[in-house]
Amino acid sequence: MKNNKRVMTLPGMAVLFFCAIVPLFIMLAYSFQSDSGTGFTLENYSRFFTKTFYLTLTLRTIVNSLLVTVISLLLSYPLAYIMAKHLKGLKNIVMVLLIIPFFTNQLVRVYSWLIFLQDGGVFERLMNTLGLVDGTMGLLYTRAAVIIGLIHAFFPYMVITIYMALERLDNSLLEASSCLGASKTTTFFRVVLPMSMPGVITGIMIVFVPCLGTFVEPRILGGVNGTVIGTVIEDQFFEIYGWNFGAAIAFILLAMVLVSMAAINRLGRRYEG
Amino acid sequence: MKCKKLLVGALALSMVLSMAACGSSSGEKDAKDGEKTKLYVVNWKDYGSDDADFIAAFEEEYNCEIVNTYMSSEEELLTKLRTSKEGDIDVCLPNCTILPAAINEGLLEQVDTSKLTNFDSMFERFKTQKECFKDDKMYAVPFVWGSTAIAYNTEVIKEAPKSMSALFDKAYAGKIAFRDDYNDAVMSAAIVLGQDPNNPSDLDAIKAKLIEQKALNKTYWKTGDEFSKLFAGKQIDLGLMWSGQAAAMKKDNQPISFVVPEDGAIGWVDNWAIPSGSQNKDLAYAFIDWMISKDFQYNWASKGGPAPVNQAAAEAIDPEYAASAGMDEASLNRLYFMEYRTDEVKNTWNELWTEVKAE
Repeated sequence: MKNNKRVMTLPGMAVLFFCAIVPLFIMLAYSFQSDSGTGFTLENYSRFFTKTFYLTLTLRTIVNSLLVTVISLLLSYPLAYIMAKHLKGLKNIVMVLLIIPFFTNQLVRVYSWLIFLQDGGVFERLMNTLGLVDGTMGLLYTRAAVIIGLIHAFFPYMVITIYMALERLDNSLLEASSCLGASKTTTFFRVVLPMSMPGVITGIMIVFVPCLGTFVEPRILGGVNGTVIGTVIEDQFFEIYGWNFGAAIAFILLAMVLVSMAAINRLGRRYEG
Repeated sequence: MKCKKLLVGALALSMVLSMAACGSSSGEKDAKDGEKTKLYVVNWKDYGSDDADFIAAFEEEYNCEIVNTYMSSEEELLTKLRTSKEGDIDVCLPNCTILPAAINEGLLEQVDTSKLTNFDSMFERFKTQKECFKDDKMYAVPFVWGSTAIAYNTEVIKEAPKSMSALFDKAYAGKIAFRDDYNDAVMSAAIVLGQDPNNPSDLDAIKAKLIEQKALNKTYWKTGDEFSKLFAGKQIDLGLMWSGQAAAMKKDNQPISFVVPEDGAIGWVDNWAIPSGSQNKDLAYAFIDWMISKDFQYNWASKGGPAPVNQAAAEAIDPEYAASAGMDEASLNRLYFMEYRTDEVKNTWNELWTEVKAE
């Protein structure tokens, strides 16, 4: 029986091995290779850390990703809570609305934002009509536009993971809390929030990590200010065939991701058991 | 990381396929009399030479079959030339940025221009295109050329800009779209600063100029479509643009005009070459000869293709159209054609451009 189970994991493991692990190691090998093609070198890594602008770009990318994650969290939590605890049939409709953007191509979504945010675009006209803003907003091709585009792309993941955690939360626990005399706020902070933490932490990871690697939204919505570390990697691969250096940057980014995941995990462990 | 994986896969697949294709063809060629000779051509997709009407006419005339394979980048072509077996490719289309590497590595046959009846009708400029030569021997034949210069909105800007410095002019602040490309960026700044665009002497000055320019842009554009949307939406008044795209936009009735300014702009040339070991050299010559003929070049260019190298074809094109597409001889003589760059130069320029964008 035990052997049988092991056999059944083989196809899946094989796919993982050949499609994820092997290419990763090929890229790792590239990152330690010199462009002139002679043996092992650390020059790709040292190049990254000796040029200040690569670090500036990395820092900018991290700050962007943090902003996106925090704002997504603030938007998602109330929505997920209401979906899980207060909406009955309606929550399916909200879920469909959340998922629909995934059916559209990423570029289509980005271009919709472009049209929506541009000078004289839908958003500006709406704001002018409402009298909230007078004249041109100049929102497109700024960092704000990039953040908006990224939040739209990633916050549904956050809503779904938090929703699933809250859905599992037994309502009788909430009733027990209120029977024991806890106010609604106390119940929320002492029961609901801690118990939904695993969902929140998964959500943070699922938004923060892919955000670090994006390059389409920043480039199209950010204009001259939209360069992030993902763009640099893209340029290395497509523009100058600098696979060695591109791979090195990708691995530096991966290392940062692993470190931040470990940190977030540690945070999460406090809420377990 | 994903792209790398795909590329490796695609490369392996294309090698397997090309070997399979080659194995069967060489066997059958000798075996059956009825089998037509196959001419293996590597080119860009939808780039004139794979036009259905042309292929039909050529196959009829020479009783042969054209087998097209496509490249997605110049570097890919170079890899193909390095890894393919003799006879896998009969004709290919390298541009000047990879040509010297291919010639130096002995990947290309020397070209005998006496076998090309249309060679003499080429612009003098292209008969002596320096990347095509090594030790005074010719290895490739120029096919088409184009330019990257200034396109502007004729409703807003009444007089054609006379200098590349229009792209660096505060008068157009917020209304400029510059290109997100390290090569175009460095070359245009060099032109404005009076340096040699192909061998700039002062990269620091270029960097400073580009950083100064950054503040004037609406945005950087990468695909022609992005530029076209910005232009149609009246978000920009002028920008660094390709001649071909500007011509296509003019055909769509946009109020656009293209100009190669007096201080020059950036040019590029695509060339035909015969890889070493080609089994069908005579047919390959016939193909190249057809490609640079007046008829072919005129038809393609007037349909919105790039500019012809054939002088008679160029002269037959409506002068107004030619001028607005930057195809006229005056524009041609003002261009700095993109040269071959070593990896080191590419890296330095790309890093400079990244620094400008990070600023």
